[in-house]
Amino acid sequence: MTAEEEAIIPNGTFVQTSIPGSNLPAPKRKRNLPGTPDPEAEVIALSPKTLMATNRFLCEICGKGFQRDQNLQLHRRGHNLPWKLKQRTSKEVRKRVYICPEKTCVHHHPSRALGDLTGIKKHFCRKHGEKKWKCEKCSKRYAVQSDWKAHSKTCGTREYKCDCGTLFSRRDSFITHRAFCDALAEETARVNAASSVHNMTTTSAMNYHHLLGTPIGSGIMAQHFSSSFKPISTTNEAAMDEARQGLSLWMGHEAIGTNNLQVIHHQLGPMNSGTVYSTEPLVSGSNPLPSDTNYQLPWMFGNKLSANNPEELLSTTSISLPLSNVKENGPTHQLVSIPSLFSSQQHSLQTVPSAANMSATALLQKAAQIGATSTDASFLGSFKLKSSNSTTQAEDSSKYSGLYGSNNTQTNNSLGSEHLENSSDITTLNQLQMFPAAKRQHTRNEDSTGGGGQTRDFLGVGMQAICHPSSINGWI
Amino acid sequence: MQSPNNNHHQQAQNSSHTSTTRSSDSGEPSAPNNKWASTLLKECAKAISDKDSTKIHHLLWMLNELASPYGDCDQKLASYFLQALFCKATESGQRCYKTLTSVAEKSNSFDSARKLILKFQEVSPWTTFGHVAANGAILEALDGEKNLHIIDISNTLCTQWPTLLESLATRTDETPHLKLTVVVTASTVKSVIKEIGQRMEKFARLMGVPFEFHVRSDYLGELTKEKLCVSEDEAIAINCIGALRRVAVEERSSVIELFRSLNPKVVTIVEEEADFSSNRDDFVKCFEECLRFYTLYFEMLEESFMPTSNERLMLERECSRSIVRVLACELEENIEGECAERREKGSQWSERMKAAFSPVGFSDDVVDDVKALLKRYRAGWGLMQGDGHEDQTGLYLTWKEEAVVWASAWK
Repeated sequence: MTAEEEAIIPNGTFVQTSIPGSNLPAPKRKRNLPGTPDPEAEVIALSPKTLMATNRFLCEICGKGFQRDQNLQLHRRGHNLPWKLKQRTSKEVRKRVYICPEKTCVHHHPSRALGDLTGIKKHFCRKHGEKKWKCEKCSKRYAVQSDWKAHSKTCGTREYKCDCGTLFSRRDSFITHRAFCDALAEETARVNAASSVHNMTTTSAMNYHHLLGTPIGSGIMAQHFSSSFKPISTTNEAAMDEARQGLSLWMGHEAIGTNNLQVIHHQLGPMNSGTVYSTEPLVSGSNPLPSDTNYQLPWMFGNKLSANNPEELLSTTSISLPLSNVKENGPTHQLVSIPSLFSSQQHSLQTVPSAANMSATALLQKAAQIGATSTDASFLGSFKLKSSNSTTQAEDSSKYSGLYGSNNTQTNNSLGSEHLENSSDITTLNQLQMFPAAKRQHTRNEDSTGGGGQTRDFLGVGMQAICHPSSINGWI
Repeated sequence: MQSPNNNHHQQAQNSSHTSTTRSSDSGEPSAPNNKWASTLLKECAKAISDKDSTKIHHLLWMLNELASPYGDCDQKLASYFLQALFCKATESGQRCYKTLTSVAEKSNSFDSARKLILKFQEVSPWTTFGHVAANGAILEALDGEKNLHIIDISNTLCTQWPTLLESLATRTDETPHLKLTVVVTASTVKSVIKEIGQRMEKFARLMGVPFEFHVRSDYLGELTKEKLCVSEDEAIAINCIGALRRVAVEERSSVIELFRSLNPKVVTIVEEEADFSSNRDDFVKCFEECLRFYTLYFEMLEESFMPTSNERLMLERECSRSIVRVLACELEENIEGECAERREKGSQWSERMKAAFSPVGFSDDVVDDVKALLKRYRAGWGLMQGDGHEDQTGLYLTWKEEAVVWASAWK
């Protein structure tokens, strides 16, 4: 029930809705109002005592009490009642809604009654009850035991991912990192330059949403996406420049056939010349971008964005995945809406098959080079956002990797040749993920020969945790 | 590397009779691993105090042979303390300190400072312990207030504040306005504070917390109420992390009085548990306490970081400057606006604070938060409430059962 769903979310700070860009920090957020019951329903007002009493449902035959009506019904079957008596009386058919006994509560009023008895019980406990249950790991408190149990299962297993790609298992270190991360700095610079207030709000929303650590889950997607993107050193700049040009090689191709792809091409037109990384999706594209060979696929580069070109800064979101959800984004976005990784279409985080999307890019690249339009439909189809499990993604990714891998042999792809040179596992993984990243990694490795420790340290933060052989399968 | 050590040690014992008696009694000549550094260093300190120049030379030479800043803990301690002893013996402490500091400043940058402290906080609760305790006390003391003014005098580069900002944004119904005034003294901090401030501002915007960032570069002893720009309608919290020890010993009372005059809702003090203050006139005692504390610290660093960690090396070098400053520089010297870090223990700080403030205990929630924090790190860390004496002020972070950091709140 609505009430329960909302109440279960810790702090009520992030509520997934289907409204894009509406994930603002909890205190600022207006949720869909819970408890807007059927006007025909019968309103029941129970006292706190009665509400919290267990075994309210009594069997008329043997007098045994049950906490839930369903349990009672199950029990009654055991009495071998004649068929007619097993039926509920017509009186019972009328829907019941319950109001909260707490007078100051918004749900005390019949117009805001909640429809489920268990729901109202939990609501009452959570909002007006004493929080007796406490998580050991993070000392968070709960009034309802089942909430506490549910939390304890996942506490500490969540992973928080910064825009720069670093993964954290601890929320506090994630927050601190985020505040100092270059990704944040650049992004807000961009946001400031954006004209629309809506964009700004959305960014904050997106970032906040992300910041509060929407669980990434342990899916492969996280593994693919995390990467050694952290662009702290400026040695990345050079790498990125080259990467950009590499990209422009194929994005400049005319070969893209379908509308969608054309649109994508158009949209992904040059972002801005000065920008190395872009975390903005070319969403809410208020400006068609000038054509230029210099653009990046925003989602490929986690984060850092130089402040040189404010104009294109369209909305927000930290990492956008182009080519997915082509159809799914709402009318507010023109053409291709490139949802952010942290978009509010939430299964996004779990399911945004970054693996699939990345491979999508690889596919596009291949398509561009081959000039094939026939493959468009097939891989477009495969871009559809899947709310499926990670295994599907894994399969897709290995399928795509094969294609991707085949690109390496093409010498006209400067990035491809880069790949061949690199033999380290790290670079390999990067290649799988996105080739500019690999390029950057390669450069960085060269630059930091003395400071090998630096790369290792950074990678030590999150890489090992995410290197799964399955993601590298098939094409090393 | 062990046999050469052995040889040296044995040779030394054979050649000089007066010193061998002591060395062979206290040390374990056949096991150079076993705290040889501590023994030799203390011997040397005593020799310096006695002005026994033959012995001084002898021990300095031995230490020099065995020490290395890239070796194991003993070798590192030997190396850095040797440096201080040498400066003390040759009265070149100030010059050495200036050189070390300028070298450090050259390689200092926002990026390196950030990387260093974040990495340190990731592997060790040494600083985050104080942050969690202080933030908890601050949030509770300022609960319900609309205009918050935190005066931050810390050495942790504002890494304390993101989590506080996040709490302000999420845990309160109405997000208050926060003004953060940062007081910086260390030269290495001054150069990066502007960038830090920008990050804080951006982050606060992200969190949706109305925020102002101010910086003061005054020596703590010279601060005044006016310089801090406090206004009447603000609820003030004063946060001192590793700050009071940078005040000259004789000026500490007046700083506390200054705090009192600001009428804060809460004052949070976090300091490292060591006493270089009451023994400052006794070189050997001070030396031994210094050695005790930094041995704990170095061992903690060794067990927390990866062996090849650059960050750990940076932290160790920072210690080496501190050690030279405390042991080899004249007491009254005020080098470039900074005083020697004459640490005091929690009980000593408490005595000082009690002149103007009364202690505030940390609530159960905050203690739970600290416990939860410690669980997120490797084993070896513990929590102690009070120091066992009747004055149960503050929380102690313990490393291998030894109290290392003290956190307290006052009003």
